Amino acid sequence: MLFHILKKDLKRKRTMNMILLLFIVLATIFLASSVSNLIKIMGAVDYFLETAKTADYLIVAGSEESETPIEKFLEKCEYVTEYEVIDAYMLMDENIEIVKCTQDLGRTKYEKGDILSLNPVPENFAKVFDENGEQLYLSTGEIAFPKIQAEKNNLQVGDIIKISCEGREKEFTIRTIVKDAIFGTSHMGYKRLFISKEDYEDLVGEEPSFHTLLYNVNCSDEKEFLKEYRKNSFEVFSMLDKATVKMCYIFDMLLIGILIVVSICLILISFLILRFTIVFTLQEDYKEIGIMKAIGITDMGIKGIYLMKYLAIALAGAVIGLVFSFPFGRFLISESMENIMAPDTNSNIGIHLLCALGIIVIILLFCFLSTGKVSKFTAIEAIRKGGNGERYQTKNLLKLYKRKRMLPAVYMAFNDVMSNTKRYLVLAAVFCMGTILILLPLKAVHTLQDEGIIRLFGFQSSSVFIETSDLEKYLVQKGRSGMNSYMERIEEELKQEGMDANVWVELDYMIPCYGNDPNQKVSYYTQQQMGKDEDDYEVIKGTVPVFPNEIMVTEKTAEELAVKIGDIVYFEFPTEVREFIVTGTFQSMMNMGNGLRVGKTAELPDQYLSGCFSLQADIETDLNSIELLEKMQDCFPNYTIKSGKEYISEMIGISDQMDDLIWLITVTVLFINMLITLLTMKSLITRERGEIAMLKSIGFAEKTIKGWQCTRILLVLISAILLGTMLSHFLAPVTVGPIFAMMGATSIKLVTDSLEAYVIYPLILLIVTGITSYLCAFEITKVDLKEINTLE
Amino acid sequence: MDIRMNQLAVKDLCKTYIVNKRQNNVLRNINLTVEAGEMVAVMGPSGSGKSTLLYTVSGMDTATAGEVTFHGRKIDSLSAKEMSRIRLTEMGFIFQQMYMLKNLTIYDNIILPAYQADKEKAGRARINERAKELMRKLGIMEIAENDITEVSGGQLQRACICRSLINNPEMIFADEPTGALNQQNSKEVMRELNRINREGTTIMLVTHDSKVAAKSDRVLYIEDGTIKGELNLGKYKEEDGARDRERWLSGWLLEMGF
Repeated sequence: MLFHILKKDLKRKRTMNMILLLFIVLATIFLASSVSNLIKIMGAVDYFLETAKTADYLIVAGSEESETPIEKFLEKCEYVTEYEVIDAYMLMDENIEIVKCTQDLGRTKYEKGDILSLNPVPENFAKVFDENGEQLYLSTGEIAFPKIQAEKNNLQVGDIIKISCEGREKEFTIRTIVKDAIFGTSHMGYKRLFISKEDYEDLVGEEPSFHTLLYNVNCSDEKEFLKEYRKNSFEVFSMLDKATVKMCYIFDMLLIGILIVVSICLILISFLILRFTIVFTLQEDYKEIGIMKAIGITDMGIKGIYLMKYLAIALAGAVIGLVFSFPFGRFLISESMENIMAPDTNSNIGIHLLCALGIIVIILLFCFLSTGKVSKFTAIEAIRKGGNGERYQTKNLLKLYKRKRMLPAVYMAFNDVMSNTKRYLVLAAVFCMGTILILLPLKAVHTLQDEGIIRLFGFQSSSVFIETSDLEKYLVQKGRSGMNSYMERIEEELKQEGMDANVWVELDYMIPCYGNDPNQKVSYYTQQQMGKDEDDYEVIKGTVPVFPNEIMVTEKTAEELAVKIGDIVYFEFPTEVREFIVTGTFQSMMNMGNGLRVGKTAELPDQYLSGCFSLQADIETDLNSIELLEKMQDCFPNYTIKSGKEYISEMIGISDQMDDLIWLITVTVLFINMLITLLTMKSLITRERGEIAMLKSIGFAEKTIKGWQCTRILLVLISAILLGTMLSHFLAPVTVGPIFAMMGATSIKLVTDSLEAYVIYPLILLIVTGITSYLCAFEITKVDLKEINTLE
Repeated sequence: MDIRMNQLAVKDLCKTYIVNKRQNNVLRNINLTVEAGEMVAVMGPSGSGKSTLLYTVSGMDTATAGEVTFHGRKIDSLSAKEMSRIRLTEMGFIFQQMYMLKNLTIYDNIILPAYQADKEKAGRARINERAKELMRKLGIMEIAENDITEVSGGQLQRACICRSLINNPEMIFADEPTGALNQQNSKEVMRELNRINREGTTIMLVTHDSKVAAKSDRVLYIEDGTIKGELNLGKYKEEDGARDRERWLSGWLLEMGF
């Protein structure tokens, strides 16, 4: 008998049961994919670094000899458990020629941008992987490219390049895009190309003119090792520990962080949806529960029917949701995991299954609690919707007769939302979370894309950045004096094209230094500007260094060196120790927030120069920035002319991914909004068939009734967007702010492009949700006027 | 002589439903007219097609065949929008279930159709005046600010009558208007309908109650989808009292087999 009632119920209440099923499917998809993604991405960076066998310390140094003082130190140091030296060959742009490129570049010249080296495929430490996550293996004639380098030169798998070194040359076919755990991130200014060991030996030879050496060091006691290491003043390009390498995933972590927020929101949404659905559908059933009680079916019997019904629907919904949760999860994670290797996804099947089971348990629990409540009512109370049916609780707050100009449909919508706020809470919460989900990452993107970002990277604002292929060569070969004449030459070239310009460059030094404790020597990047009269840098406290013995430090470095304004920072050179007075602190997203800056008058030895950034120029012109960029690119086709924004965007390297992620989130939010609108509208119309029939019978046109239905959704949406916008304003400093702080911008002011954040995206949400609700409102055309006879 | 024009004319009206692939002829070749200012009751056993007739002639349902003319306009040729407009401004509806929007007060429910009809929004003051006047007449002014759940069935039905009258309709269609009311409330509602009819509004009502039907000018008896008989009570109006009219009607209904 009970089974018969259940069968009839499933058939008769097809619409409501379908809505319940769809909501359960949705909740399962969100919960399973989000929990699984959370677990996957939380450990992804560690997993990647571990799989690649990243050593505790990585030291990059250059030497004309294959055996170096560092190696001798490592050999003797008692805290070193194992180490390996990987040989690499430093490449200049002219070492690489593009032979065959699928996408016509119109040039054969290679532009590397970053520091680039040629490497044999590593076998023990610092391993690299192909696109499928398999350890890299290359045959002779094959080369593997990091993604950033390939994209910069529009190279694809199958394209051919020619590499020349030490007077020898060879053509290579790109076999794969390589995942390099240590140097693959956009934050690392050093990139590696890989060829087979045999090709490397053939091409570079056993005794090249200059060795670039990567020391991979594992230690028994990292602190003690560091102390020992710092007692020496090795000349190195860079020294990194594993934590710093991990920190370099910060931009990828930004993507992952956003995904975590998305996942948490989706989990919240799925629980909201579940609660809404169970309460909503059970309220609909109260009347029948009452009738069953009235005819003598026991409470347990009634509970049994509903538990069976919900179990059947929950099972079906969870299974369907489980199936869809896999592609949805992959879709969500796709943009964030481009540079990272995640653990084997098969292990997450269990998580998906557990989540689906969790959904079933929650539904049954909700159902049990709700039906339990009904057993406290008498039959007649249950028939009257459990005594807590909204019919007996609503109170209209707005008065139609007081609205002089308001359309009745709009009034009815306002009145419904205000009188039944609880009913629309879930909808509002979902819309609000969707808005926050879009606005928070958007603020991060806007900040990264703002003109002012250039100053957060330790640059001064300039009209243009000029990338030339031989700048680095000049610096290496001729030092500061060579750089001076180089800049004069560029100024002259600009003058010949009618552009009066002041050209300057940011030089990078790597000098061992210490604060109050001489045993704690650290090599930080020290920047110095050359060529510009004024030093106009971002300063948090104090002033920019002016005299040769002045310096400013980032807040992070000040903390690490334990110095403050007025203290001394000591630079240790082989022949002397020089003192610099700290005049100010600044913030910089360069080198993870570590760094120092000396004034342009300070004289530092050329041998500590580790590199430079592109030339910057201030140009006197009437042209706007876009016209200037175009004109300069036309005049100087051999140079790459960029705006500050473009330069930083390329340096960060995740701008495209961020844009894609924003779109992915927007599409997800729109999808959720559409679904929740569809299901809410369907539920409401099913519940309000009588009222709709009554309105039709007294002469309300369908257009007006649709207007009433849609206006309600739009009212909730607009309120939720406003609330979401306000909340995101307060949430941004505590969610996005810390991510920037980790990158070095400790006192960042987040930027919002008002047009995008407050007009375009809300409009997209409004239009898509509005259209969805309008299309759903067509359901009212199916409501027959005669249904007024079946009203309660 | 009182020359009255037809408010409603029905010619060869048929209504067929297909239920489980079986044809169910609910109305068969119905012909009738209702004159302006007349009050016509439709009676008949359950399932005879009374409500279907009411819904079809009022444009709430479509006819399978035949013609319905309301105030000179064939309603089956009107668009949905035009039909809505007629229902809003020229017709009034009263149902057995006194259905109103739950989130609105009694007063707001009453003025809602008028506000909807008042496109220019200029006549809202006048509408409020009319609503108050109607509520006073029907004795429900004191429940104006109440929710629909806070009033009695009789009060609610009178509120529904107010709503049906708010746009000064030419004709009111009432489907069992007293069906859900007790005797006292039924009397009150019928008194109001009679008063409205006396003021010139045409009324067509479906009822099971002979006491209710006895207050109309004409009674149509419908069975198996056809009009089996018609009793003109108007001729007894002036010479006999209410009791005699009820007796006449009861006798006639017995003849009809009701």
